[in-house]
Amino acid sequence: MGPILQVEKLTKRFGGLTAVDRLDFEVRGGEILGVIGPNGAGKSTTFNLIAGAYGASEGDIRFAGESIAGLSPHRIAARGVMRTFQHNRPFAGMPVIDNVLVGAHTRFAARLWSVVLGTSSHEEARMRVRAEELVQFVGLGEFARADVGTLSFGQGRLLEIARALAGEPKLILLDEPAAGLTPAETARLAEIIRGVAARGIAVLLIEHDMHFLLPLAHRVVVLNFGAKIADGLPDEIRANRAVMDAYLGAATN
Amino acid sequence: MQDFLELAVGAAASGCVYGLLALAYLLMIRPTGIINFAVGEWAMVASFGGFLLLSRYEWPYPLGMAAILAFMLVLGWATERITVRPLVEKGAPLLAPILALLGMLVVFREAISVSFPPDPHPVPFPFGLGRLEWGPFGGSYQSFFIIATTLLVFIGVWLFFERTVAGKSFEAVALHRRAAALMGINLSRVTALSFAAGAGIAGLAGLLVSPNISAHYLMGIPLAIQGFTALVIGGVGRVEGALLGGLLLAFAEQMTVRYAPVPSGFAQGVPLLLLMVFLLLRPTGLLRARA
Amino acid sequence: MKSALRWVAAIAVLSAAAFFMSDYHNDVYRKLMLWVALALGYNFLFGVCGQVSFSHFAFYGIGAYSIVILLFQAHLPLPVAIVCGLVLCVVFALVVAIPSTRLEGFYLALATLALGQLFIVVLNEGGSITGGNGGIANYRLPDIFGVRIRGPWYTAVIATLLVGTLALLWRLDHSWFGRACRAVRDNAEAAAAMGVDVARVKVIAFTLTAVLAGIAGMVYAFVDNTVNPPIFGIENAFLLLFMVIVGGAGRHAGAVIGAVLLFLLPFWLSPVVGHHQALVFGVLVVAAILFQPRGLIGLWDRFSRSRS
Repeated sequence: MGPILQVEKLTKRFGGLTAVDRLDFEVRGGEILGVIGPNGAGKSTTFNLIAGAYGASEGDIRFAGESIAGLSPHRIAARGVMRTFQHNRPFAGMPVIDNVLVGAHTRFAARLWSVVLGTSSHEEARMRVRAEELVQFVGLGEFARADVGTLSFGQGRLLEIARALAGEPKLILLDEPAAGLTPAETARLAEIIRGVAARGIAVLLIEHDMHFLLPLAHRVVVLNFGAKIADGLPDEIRANRAVMDAYLGAATN
Repeated sequence: MQDFLELAVGAAASGCVYGLLALAYLLMIRPTGIINFAVGEWAMVASFGGFLLLSRYEWPYPLGMAAILAFMLVLGWATERITVRPLVEKGAPLLAPILALLGMLVVFREAISVSFPPDPHPVPFPFGLGRLEWGPFGGSYQSFFIIATTLLVFIGVWLFFERTVAGKSFEAVALHRRAAALMGINLSRVTALSFAAGAGIAGLAGLLVSPNISAHYLMGIPLAIQGFTALVIGGVGRVEGALLGGLLLAFAEQMTVRYAPVPSGFAQGVPLLLLMVFLLLRPTGLLRARA
Repeated sequence: MKSALRWVAAIAVLSAAAFFMSDYHNDVYRKLMLWVALALGYNFLFGVCGQVSFSHFAFYGIGAYSIVILLFQAHLPLPVAIVCGLVLCVVFALVVAIPSTRLEGFYLALATLALGQLFIVVLNEGGSITGGNGGIANYRLPDIFGVRIRGPWYTAVIATLLVGTLALLWRLDHSWFGRACRAVRDNAEAAAAMGVDVARVKVIAFTLTAVLAGIAGMVYAFVDNTVNPPIFGIENAFLLLFMVIVGGAGRHAGAVIGAVLLFLLPFWLSPVVGHHQALVFGVLVVAAILFQPRGLIGLWDRFSRSRS
């Protein structure tokens, strides 16, 4: 089975600034690929390019063999690429379970006329059950009916993941999921991410916290100034001189 | 061409009135993000003030004008204090004060409506009804008065923002509220002042335009729309934009009435169409804010 | 099926009430129900989908004027006129909805406000087609299959419209579409990342609610048997917004409460404060927004929560 995501010579320029520079990497199903690098290295930009929030200046992004570069975010989501956001972006006017159900938006088959006539209640019930399972999976089971406003920051992070999983993605993009979490929450998160990968979903993970990332990832890609400076197993990266140099001066926690 | 020159002064005067209203919006939008539709009603209140003090009680014009403007400053400050401040302090979403101000629009209008009979009320011309010829341009005394006053106001406001410390702090709040607060700028004072100034300028606009159209309790909303259209055309970023937008709108209106083969009632449609077009194609307006 | 019975029962109850009322009360009742129907639709657009629109009332007007013009100026038979009227509503709604997707928040509000005003200008200047400032009057609903629908029977028609509107919106609300609308309202960018086609959702919500308003307008045309520009003006557009805000945006119950309260308020105020009523009204609206930004339904929530 080939890689689910292939990024080829991906480049993004903002005016005179090259944020991402001829980036190449790939991810396979069930694999956890970590993307690390100092601030401003182009990690978030890469994410946004893959998710369709930005258009690439050059290069290609292929998902399941087909190019998704230039597609709008909702179409990319429909194809099976779901993402979380670095700063929690819940839908504030809905309970937790409904937030997760929005994540499943692309999996609903009922047409509008069917909704109006009331003939789609089976699907709604089924989807609700699946959403409840996901909420349990990330450990928010008792908060399913709660207002998202009552969730703590760490719980909000978990909601982001549950919501993204609801879309039944083949690739999930996690944007600094451990940021701001307590050590206990971080350990829980690592378990969840391993569980996701175990389901065969490819995981692309941006992280700053190397203590969290290196034990978790199967492979790591290191960016600096928009370009890839290393690509390999976590142990290789740990020993890599260029990587250490890049981080000199930048905080490593 | 002769035609155009004759129109020019009158159109410029209308444009100045729209520009003042646009400026009133701008002064309140920039530091707070709040769109205050009640500016039209403020203009209306001031013109009724003009009727009362200048027509009925026959105060000398400068005294009456000063009294009315002072009243408007207080009214603006009070409006902010009563309907905006509590909502902002409660952390309500931005839509809430805008809706509350919409409610105040109704309150202002109805307050006037119950205090005066429904017919139009005359407001006197400060310089009488004469005409002035200035080179190739000709227009009424009132038109020139409006233009002169408006230019003074705009120059004053522009100098305030460019040259004074208070003006710079205002800009700072407009650009980044939280940063400004962290730097010690008193946010609520800036907001209160912006509303007071907005009311004063809207009141001035009302006072300037009412001799021509008479004070009437329904005059607020059309003015509010014209003012906002001027703002959208000119852009929120620069004070000059408000005046530019007002002038463009006024000229477009006059041209349509004069030359377009449609019944004159459609002139009312001009600001509306322009507003929609600009909102769709160029919502940031013609002039960009300085970086 | 069970729920369908509930809706039918509701229609029956609301209609039956009409037969026990005098003509005057029937008239008030009809208008009340129409306002509630409008408020429900507007609440969906504004409260659920987050689209601040001031043109909703214009669609009420488009429905009303078009049925009258098609029936009494183009002399079309009633069923054809109804269909054409609906088509007109859909077309206008799409024409407005599609460019609207490019606008956010206040810009959208302004553009739709301008549109609403433009509609009034067109009505006023429409000469013999629209009847100008005076509008069109002195017509009557033609007989349908030889049956003359008058009085409480027409009230029953309105009750059906109201319940139908509520049923439709209720179902939509409690489905993926309703959630998609709320997602667009709460965070459009996140919604897109979840696969929601934001523009399409907005267009559907806008068009659907506009058509509902148009249908209500068509029904309204035969309530007073007169249509004229001020009825569809900005005053009522504001009133509709106030109803939804005061009642509680985003909740059907809120729309109902707000509509009933603000519609009946002038009747209650008038004997007390005479022609100061509009002023008192305005003050009450401002007070409601200041003290209960979540709407009166928020009070009900607190009450029911404190009891459980």
